[in-house]
Amino acid sequence: MTQTPTIGFFQMLPLECKKLKRTGCLPAVVLCGLFAAAFPLANMLVRPEAFTTLPGDPLSILADANWQMIAMLNILLSICLCCIMYHTEFADRGIQKSETLPVKAHLLFLGKGTILAVSGIVVILTECAALGFCALHWFPAYTFDSSAAFALLKFAGFQWLMLLPTMLLMLCIASICSNMWTSLGIGIILTFTIYVFPQKNLLLGLLPFSTPYHLLSESVSADQTLLYPAACAAETILFALCGAIYPSIRRYHS
Amino acid sequence: MNIIETKNLTKSYGSFTAVSNVNLHIRKGTVYGFLGPNGAGKSTTMKMFLGLTRPTLGSFQIDGKTFPNDRVAILKEIGSFIESPAFYGNLTGEENLDIIRRILKLPKHSVKDALELVGLTEFKDRPAKKYSLGMKQRLGLAGALIGHPPILILDEPTNGLDPVGIHEIRTLIRSLPEQYDCTVLVSSHLLPEIELMADDIGILNHGHLLFEGSMEQLKAYAHENGYPTDNLEQTFLALVDEDNQQLLRKKIEKRGKRS
Amino acid sequence: MNFFSLIQIELQKIKRSKILLLLVIPVFMMWIPSILNADGIFDTQGIPITPESNFFVQGFMGMVWFMIPATLILCTVLLRQNEHTNHGILKMLALPISGPALCLAKFTVLILLTFVQMLLLILAYYLSAAAASAMVDYTLLLPPLFVFRTVFGFYLATVPMAAVFWMIAVLIASPIFQIGIGLASIVPSVLLINTKVWFAYPMCYPFYLLMIAYGRAAAGVYETTIDWIPWIPIAALLTLAALFIACLRFGHAERK
Repeated sequence: MTQTPTIGFFQMLPLECKKLKRTGCLPAVVLCGLFAAAFPLANMLVRPEAFTTLPGDPLSILADANWQMIAMLNILLSICLCCIMYHTEFADRGIQKSETLPVKAHLLFLGKGTILAVSGIVVILTECAALGFCALHWFPAYTFDSSAAFALLKFAGFQWLMLLPTMLLMLCIASICSNMWTSLGIGIILTFTIYVFPQKNLLLGLLPFSTPYHLLSESVSADQTLLYPAACAAETILFALCGAIYPSIRRYHS
Repeated sequence: MNIIETKNLTKSYGSFTAVSNVNLHIRKGTVYGFLGPNGAGKSTTMKMFLGLTRPTLGSFQIDGKTFPNDRVAILKEIGSFIESPAFYGNLTGEENLDIIRRILKLPKHSVKDALELVGLTEFKDRPAKKYSLGMKQRLGLAGALIGHPPILILDEPTNGLDPVGIHEIRTLIRSLPEQYDCTVLVSSHLLPEIELMADDIGILNHGHLLFEGSMEQLKAYAHENGYPTDNLEQTFLALVDEDNQQLLRKKIEKRGKRS
Repeated sequence: MNFFSLIQIELQKIKRSKILLLLVIPVFMMWIPSILNADGIFDTQGIPITPESNFFVQGFMGMVWFMIPATLILCTVLLRQNEHTNHGILKMLALPISGPALCLAKFTVLILLTFVQMLLLILAYYLSAAAASAMVDYTLLLPPLFVFRTVFGFYLATVPMAAVFWMIAVLIASPIFQIGIGLASIVPSVLLINTKVWFAYPMCYPFYLLMIAYGRAAAGVYETTIDWIPWIPIAALLTLAALFIACLRFGHAERK
């Protein structure tokens, strides 16, 4: 008897996308991106002179003034997305069905993680486009050439990497708690408790829920260009592994 | 005397008509069986009686009163059980009934009576979310029967019950008009069930009322129209099948005209 | 059916629903950083403020700006879920009570829960201030009268916000969007508090009172007098409008 090969990651990904139909995830990503992009615009519209008179690189000035709020919105979006992704699994016991099908359990988590990471790219690019627009419109000295575009992309890439550990940790939490409200509560409490922790403490600063506030310019000025990206990459891999392994542990021990 | 009467009652959702020109006559002090396959419009009709959804066209009156002006007055007279049982999962069966009791301003012992009536006394202290399907169903029924309202609207009350439970509930419903002088509107998709409980029946299919009358009248109607009469289940199936065929023919004709 | 017994019924409905637990955890969690960071209280960065006031303001900052609104949002959603998970609302709508009265009763429960949270908040403040005092060997406790009065002020200032969140919960069916929109609406309050139109945005109110308290404790940081006009009339208007819309639309989605 020939055995049909089990489904692979790239076949699983479209299925995971399909599960998100009508959950409101896509509009949530778009709306969050637009809402966050409105912050720098509003700030510049209301009090342009507060920023244009500051010395330094326009992009860093804008990031300094707005990224705290933008990062917080990104974290909140990640929490909501993770919760809804696993809520669709747990609410009507879809996950039970998935677990009885010949699918490798970790693919479910990795598929969701990939979707999350991609939505991260979408929101951060939207937000960076808004920063770029503000710089171009309000700072006469700023010209959008290839080096400026590269700087903007580098910034976007850096902030995306800063967001990843938070996203994956939250996804782990959502996959562990079958009740959406529990994971949501944990996410919100973590967000704000870590937010009020003193940011100067290096170790606390490297934690998920804290790194998204960290700016590229801060890393450059503190001469730690590699510390944060390395820490975030390591955390991302760690949480991805945890999330991928957890389903098999749960199945055998529950 | 009719306690519930509808006049060309219609409910549409966009282009889909769930209930179409239905004229019902429910006599006071009887059990009225509302029969039809799944999705025929039984629940929608019952929801309209409770003000849970508004008719698109037509009207109805309950004990001489109409929605939305007499909403509270109507609801005071009706005990209802609609679709899947509605309750608060974090509360016990007893607490769930106590909430209803307080809203209806009934005496304290009515909760105990209702629990006993549906055979749930043993499980009254268990949170409702831990109930089995049958127990949830019984809790829903208790919520309808509490305080012996003059009108009872029960939507598929025996769903999810075991054969013994079905028999109990059936007997209970059958005895209600005599015991408490109330009128019962009960729906089901099973004819044998309705046959054992109801005085009058109304058959609904795709939102249309195919037949209304007593069991004897149904037999006579079937005989006249050449439907099988030896078994009422057969009559019902033939009736619905005939209606479905007609609808299909109409659809095909429509399509033919268009192309 | 009188309103008081309706509130009693609503309170009975949230028995065993873990809503109270949800109120307790953040209240105590938020003070942990303050205790851990007790040393930093003395580093006022040139702002003329006493360490005990600094401890109070820093500790309440996160609570007032975000944690109280966030728990309010979670409470509104949980109150709604309580009705929807097992269709309890369908039973309610088929019983002889008026929809708007039910809606207002639920709102009353919401602000009662917030009141409980405020009391817990005061308790958590004194516990953490006592713990921090022991750590730094300096009394960080403020007089009860001041603390109670200030926190009660915060409480009153959350009522308009609670009305707006309740309206959002009634209008938007999807719980995740209720939460998303609610949380996203809190974030910009740090931006709006510094503008001239802060009074038009209810999420700013408690934060504004904290900033006033900050201004009174540290000269030159912020204003020291509250601008009652046009704040109070606008706040009353917004509250009434939000409640009116909520009552109008309550149960609408279920009656389709």
